[in-house]
Amino acid sequence: MSASEPEDWRSRSPLAVTMGEPAGIGTEVTLKAWRNRESGTPAFFLIDDPDRVRRCADRLGWDIPVAAIEGPTDATVRFDNALPVLSHSVPVHPEPGHPSTENGRAVIGAIERAVELVRDGAASAVVTNPIHKRVLYEAGFTHPGHTEFLAALAGTGEPPVMMLACPELRVIPVTVHLPFRAVANALSTETIIACGRIADRDLRLNFGIERPRLAVAGLNPHAGEEGAIGREEIDIIAPAVAQLKAEGIAASGPYPADSLFHPAARADADVVLCMYHDQALIPLKTLDFWGGVNVTLGLPFIRTSPDHGTGFAIAGTGKANEASFVASLAMAADMAAHRHAVLGDG
Amino acid sequence: MDAIGITMGDPSGIGPEIICKALRDLPAEDRRASIVIGDPKVMARAAEVTGTGLSFTTGTPTDADTVRISEVFVGEGAKDGEISAASGQAAYDCVVRAVELAQAGDIAVIVTAPLNKAAMHEAGHHFDGHTGLLAHLTGSPSSFMLLASEKLSTVHVSTHVALADAIERTKKARVLETIRAGNAHLKRLGLARPRIAVAGLNPHCGEGGIFGRQDIDEIAPAVEAARAEGIDAKGPISADTVFYRASQGEFDLVVAQYHDQGHIPVKLIAFDTTVNVSLGLPIQRTSVDHGTAFDIAWTGKADHTNMMSAIAYARQMAVAPPLTAVSAA
Repeated sequence: MSASEPEDWRSRSPLAVTMGEPAGIGTEVTLKAWRNRESGTPAFFLIDDPDRVRRCADRLGWDIPVAAIEGPTDATVRFDNALPVLSHSVPVHPEPGHPSTENGRAVIGAIERAVELVRDGAASAVVTNPIHKRVLYEAGFTHPGHTEFLAALAGTGEPPVMMLACPELRVIPVTVHLPFRAVANALSTETIIACGRIADRDLRLNFGIERPRLAVAGLNPHAGEEGAIGREEIDIIAPAVAQLKAEGIAASGPYPADSLFHPAARADADVVLCMYHDQALIPLKTLDFWGGVNVTLGLPFIRTSPDHGTGFAIAGTGKANEASFVASLAMAADMAAHRHAVLGDG
Repeated sequence: MDAIGITMGDPSGIGPEIICKALRDLPAEDRRASIVIGDPKVMARAAEVTGTGLSFTTGTPTDADTVRISEVFVGEGAKDGEISAASGQAAYDCVVRAVELAQAGDIAVIVTAPLNKAAMHEAGHHFDGHTGLLAHLTGSPSSFMLLASEKLSTVHVSTHVALADAIERTKKARVLETIRAGNAHLKRLGLARPRIAVAGLNPHCGEGGIFGRQDIDEIAPAVEAARAEGIDAKGPISADTVFYRASQGEFDLVVAQYHDQGHIPVKLIAFDTTVNVSLGLPIQRTSVDHGTAFDIAWTGKADHTNMMSAIAYARQMAVAPPLTAVSAA
């Protein structure tokens, strides 16, 4: 993966971390990430109720100082000695694993605040902890998920694009949570082109890649063998690749999906556009089970999140693995540095 | 009888060269237990191009550098690195001979070098590669493709069909047959009770039916039926986590629902050493998992790592108890 060197993140604003579902593992992975901070860890602050966070740490028997802060600028100053928490009211302090619908508004509010702060330049990026959608729906939330909500807050006309990344691989599932049978019908040349354009733009802007190489996977085995086993490659995917190329984007394919993920192939692509959820998730999770990061492309700001859920079954035990959250922080900070170098914002 | 027969594959491709290189690297006793099925002139030339110093005989080898050959001749018109009817016919003839030798009991396992489907079609043999040809020659209604590597092995419910058709093939009966075939294979290779994971079809196994019902209606009942037969099967397990878990040692085999589901993770982990094994045929066969590589054929550059893996796996199968001696569970 070719990339120019970002400048030091420390010269800029801290990362805004949302509370996510307070009955989930978000609080404990955030506490762990601060406790295990190293000299290279980017400064971040959590948007949450400081008392609640303190109590979570106490319950786990973790001696972690929590600093209530009034604004993001305090975060950078306090970060070395305490976990900075930007005060945000949480009506119910739930038992781990038992979400309360009364917190729905607070969970949504934390996301809104993070977006405001990043748009003002007070925060350099948004890192979101996992939410529990059912609770939010009961609080009047109408979006299919985090990503769509962020896009609505950002007021972008185009749908955002989910990218999953680990140090050795980036993948974009062009279709996501659909019955497998519905994938072929949901695929369109336009969707692939839209994903490709956003990937090209954001990999330049936020990852410092001069000319991103997009490898496009086929849908059928062996990419359909010239139509012998499926025609989607010919009818849908190849025209999208041709259009992206015509626009000057370094796209290629469609390739047989099983030829795209071994080490030599990974070295030849900056991102792989995958036609369905598992085509993207199988290689990513086989390669880096714990450390995958979910990045939202196509927003006017940077947003990353861990690629796991609320983990209710293990919430409150301290067992939750923080690797994905820590990787989300690091990736957000790197992206912010690249973006700053290009745009001079954040 | 525990000899293995190695087909030459398409003589315009890299088959003859990788066979020579692999034979050179085998221990002498394994070389003695190998029979090449191919054209002696082609093989002699490959030995020269690769500098392996091997010679071939139809009789009994008298020294360690000589390998047995069952002769199949290449006709006029074959050219290095090009598709031709002559090469396609020779590749076809090698497979036919190999099956005859296996059925006669002269060899225990067939190892196939790559053939070129287009060349075989030019020669008038319209098969979907080795798999279709072997099924035809042995009169088998169906077979199962197993990809084997050191850390992860997968067996497929469906293989070379369009994704839309593959989804329709995720049926309880076929999933159960695939579990049984994988289980029987690993038992033959010496695992007392293979731990088998069955991958889901839909994202996150359909999340309780929201994203498709096959995981509930077809796969779960197949796993239950397999367990009722005493097979240690688990699933359906979300496809994005099952391969990692298996590669960490939790399972001996993953049943994949479609071609790329099983191929993506195995080739990611073991690109050069993945062996393709055909299950469910009355004969045994392993194969390299790459093509004829016409672009580098007859330059001596072809890498034989994958052929070594295919031969090593075939050797394990050759010394395992006979196919008929193991019941499904």
